[in-house]
Amino acid sequence: MTGIIDVSQLVKTYGDGTKAVKGISFNVSEGEFFGFLGPNGAGKSTTIKILTTLLRKTSGSASVAGFDVDSDGAKIRKIIGVQNQDTVVDEDLTGRENMILQGELQQIHGQALKERVDELLKIVDLVDAADKRAGFYSGGMKKRLDLATTLVHDPKILFLDEPTTGLDPQSRAAIWAYLKRLNEQGITIFITTQYLEEVDRLCRRLAIVDLGEIVAQGTPGELKQEIGADSISLGFENSTMNGGDTRNKAKNLLEKKFNGISNVVNSDIGLTVYAKNGGFLVPEIVRAFDEAKIGLSSIGVSSPTLDDVFLKHTGKRIRVEEVSSANYRGMFSRRRR
Amino acid sequence: MSFFSDSYHLFIRWMKKLVRNPILVFFSLFQPIIFLVLFTQLFSQFGSLLGGVDYTKFATAGIVLQNAFSSAFQSGTSVVDDIKSGFLTKMLATPVNRSAILFGRILSDIFRVAVQTIIILALAYALGVYPQTGVAGYLLIILTVGFFGLAWSGISLALGLKTKSGETVFGIAGFLTFPLLFMSTALVGQPAMPPWMQNVSSYNPISFAVNAIRSLIMPPPQCIICTNVFDWTTILQAYGVIALIGVATLGATLYLFRKIVS
Repeated sequence: MTGIIDVSQLVKTYGDGTKAVKGISFNVSEGEFFGFLGPNGAGKSTTIKILTTLLRKTSGSASVAGFDVDSDGAKIRKIIGVQNQDTVVDEDLTGRENMILQGELQQIHGQALKERVDELLKIVDLVDAADKRAGFYSGGMKKRLDLATTLVHDPKILFLDEPTTGLDPQSRAAIWAYLKRLNEQGITIFITTQYLEEVDRLCRRLAIVDLGEIVAQGTPGELKQEIGADSISLGFENSTMNGGDTRNKAKNLLEKKFNGISNVVNSDIGLTVYAKNGGFLVPEIVRAFDEAKIGLSSIGVSSPTLDDVFLKHTGKRIRVEEVSSANYRGMFSRRRR
Repeated sequence: MSFFSDSYHLFIRWMKKLVRNPILVFFSLFQPIIFLVLFTQLFSQFGSLLGGVDYTKFATAGIVLQNAFSSAFQSGTSVVDDIKSGFLTKMLATPVNRSAILFGRILSDIFRVAVQTIIILALAYALGVYPQTGVAGYLLIILTVGFFGLAWSGISLALGLKTKSGETVFGIAGFLTFPLLFMSTALVGQPAMPPWMQNVSSYNPISFAVNAIRSLIMPPPQCIICTNVFDWTTILQAYGVIALIGVATLGATLYLFRKIVS
């Protein structure tokens, strides 16, 4: 047990009997960018709330920076930054006032606080809007401000619950860029998100939770390797697609000549081939098809993605909730009641 | 100790929010001012019914208290807003002193009620109402109203924390305001009430506070021309009743708040 976050056999049962977390164990090393993924209702937010001392655990143990979440809550709160799923800023206060208030509550005062706030406003690109009320900010700006308020006291660990959900792609990219930079400066980041591409790119390790249990954990590379196969997509020239002859011919050829192919399925442009080390197969396939006079119009290899990993372990595709017109309609009809 | 500095910073937060939403001040001041300017004209004949007193003078005590009423009831709704928006959770994830979260809000309520009371008293002064007890009277009135506002905030805070619904707090506040106000000595003296209402008003906590404030503004009935008469029995009785309410409502608030934050 040497991690900056150590969780062992953690259980949370709510008052109504709901078992949100059913004995999970994991640890996060100092300086790590750790992804905590799972479908809705998997127990992610509950776990974050316990680790950030906002909720009491039922059993098991959990410590942050060596402090027990139950007995040393006050010490933990001094060194963590927490961003909730919903953007939380006081809309009646300006951006700067929001940050100053948060700093004061973190017991940083005076000139040190002022300088820190100026510095952070620069980092999150809110210098020009700093003295406008947060109520006038766009969604992306509010999210950036919210993130900045969690950083005023220079936390060692940042807990982020869906920090980019509901943002436009540009704001999303900006937030991810800040997080990358923060992590490079040595801040440990514990994040839940639905954006698997970013997880793949930034997280050093991740855990997937489903129904209150951890179903997989490891580096993105390890988890993808478990899937076992790359996919090679082959596109045939239009003229040779007639009657499906080419397709069958190609299928026969692939199955006879190549080892290590685990599956061949039809696709709308031709065939998709699943195989280990797909990259090495590509030149051989091209040569074989050339000899057999099968005209290829395209060929592409893709490694398994975290999407495939997520699907394998949870049986669900991760759903990214985009802000769409349908969502807006939903919001309004709910309000009207 | 972070309790005082945290309370101060959160007090400042609430004051900024209030100043930037003047409509809230307007709403809680509007009714008392309408009462002071129009209602007192409409019911000026009441004065003779109550033994030949100036009705504006008589009603000022009730109106000052009515103002404390309506602003205290906004207290609960803003705490509900903080719970719903997640701002409370955000604060709780910091080392902020837990009690300061509540105390900062209560301080801002007292301050606000005091300022609104001064506005109403200034307006009343323009209409010829000034306390027979002078400057000390003014100070005591503001103190009493602030103290009353504090106890009354507790009701809306407890309701807000219990129901976590701003609408409920608002509904109950609206439901309570008029019966409590009209079945007290706030706007009409007991001699003008039917007997059953006289009984109700004798036990109505509002009456105690109103009577104390009124005693500071108007001399006792038996000596119309007296000045500087402090009716300490009435005043202390009021403070006793307010303290009882305060202990109950703020105790409930504290209990419910602890349940949320721990």
